[in-house]
Amino acid sequence: MSGTRLKLALEHDGASRGRHVRDIVEELKRLYGVRGALIVAPDGFVIAAELPGSVEVDSLAALAATLGRELETSATRMGRPSFSTALFSADDGTMFLAASRIGYLVVLAEAQVSVQTIRTALADAIALIEAAWAPGEATG
Amino acid sequence: MTILRRLWTPRDGRESLSVPDALRRAELRRREGRYAEAGALVARALEIDAGNLHAHLLAAYLHVARRATAPAKEEFHWVLGHDPNHARALLGLARIAFEERDTRTCHDLLRRALRFYPEFPEASALLELVRAREAAPPPPVAPAAPRVERLRLPGTGRALIIGRTDGGLIASQPVTDDAKDISEALARMLHVATAALRRAALGPLHRAIVEDGRDAVFTRTDGELIVSLALPRATDPTQGLLDVNRLWSATQHELGLAAGPPAAAPSSTPADTPGAVPTRRIS
Repeated sequence: MSGTRLKLALEHDGASRGRHVRDIVEELKRLYGVRGALIVAPDGFVIAAELPGSVEVDSLAALAATLGRELETSATRMGRPSFSTALFSADDGTMFLAASRIGYLVVLAEAQVSVQTIRTALADAIALIEAAWAPGEATG
Repeated sequence: MTILRRLWTPRDGRESLSVPDALRRAELRRREGRYAEAGALVARALEIDAGNLHAHLLAAYLHVARRATAPAKEEFHWVLGHDPNHARALLGLARIAFEERDTRTCHDLLRRALRFYPEFPEASALLELVRAREAAPPPPVAPAAPRVERLRLPGTGRALIIGRTDGGLIASQPVTDDAKDISEALARMLHVATAALRRAALGPLHRAIVEDGRDAVFTRTDGELIVSLALPRATDPTQGLLDVNRLWSATQHELGLAAGPPAAAPSSTPADTPGAVPTRRIS
């Protein structure tokens, strides 16, 4: 996926990035064993989401952003590098979290999902975001 | 005067923009993750109308999005100075208080927000998280520290933390000054993750893998005990999970929590942890 989509990302002008971000989420959602995905800003603002109807988006986004910030602030306190990806495995599924310059990517998946497949897809998604949001664009 | 200000035309050649237009565009940029552009538009709006509450709120959000806590707090306080019951500003400050480990302030701010806006899902979710943390049972009588020198780290193992979900440290290897802080941070992080998993209807947390540029930290928990093993980032996840499972069984055995002998699982590499010569092989 990454080659073509990376090119697309580079061709995107600023105005179409909203659509582009939704494409990234939809692409993650299409993966085998994935129930839903979202991108949430560090302030808890939902940038794009594709979640099952049973999941309340704003609540999950608030907690996912809190979790992302918790991982970042803990790392800072410990003088460690910030997290890149995290996986949380539970009885009924797995939640993946990845840090990007615009926020956190969250994937909700079946318990038996291929961890490597999701990690690779998340790495691709992060690369797309890095390519489309030049340094300074998101962070200023 | 107000009309003139709203139809302000800059002298520096920039496109003329009304305050509502600038803020609308800023919102749009924010939705696209274009925080720097959104920030510039908010700054322009504030040049025209320095007392615009929406602009200050947006500025606060953008500071948070850029991980700039101090100016974000300033902006949220500005909003609350003009509208003491502004639910979004209360939530924003509550989130920062949580990050700063100020649970009491976080709790109070969320309660204030919910008093005026009971149907506020983000605030409810965070309040539930804070309450669960506050309601955690007091630590039990300290169990005998497991003889961690007998817990054999894999050869590539960098650190082992054995703690409780209330943040208490049971043991660490190697023994370091910051092990207690790490145990506490680990417990906090797992607590937030547990709440997120619950919201996602995925059930209770059992395992976690957190990767940074250096390490992959493999963790196992049962809601009371936490065993966390730091390995090099390149470690295969399956092998890392096997290693932490082995240490989990061995820890339970040492703590007297397991009925039988610890399960044997192959370690990823020969067990030759520097500085920790085991007296007896546990697994």
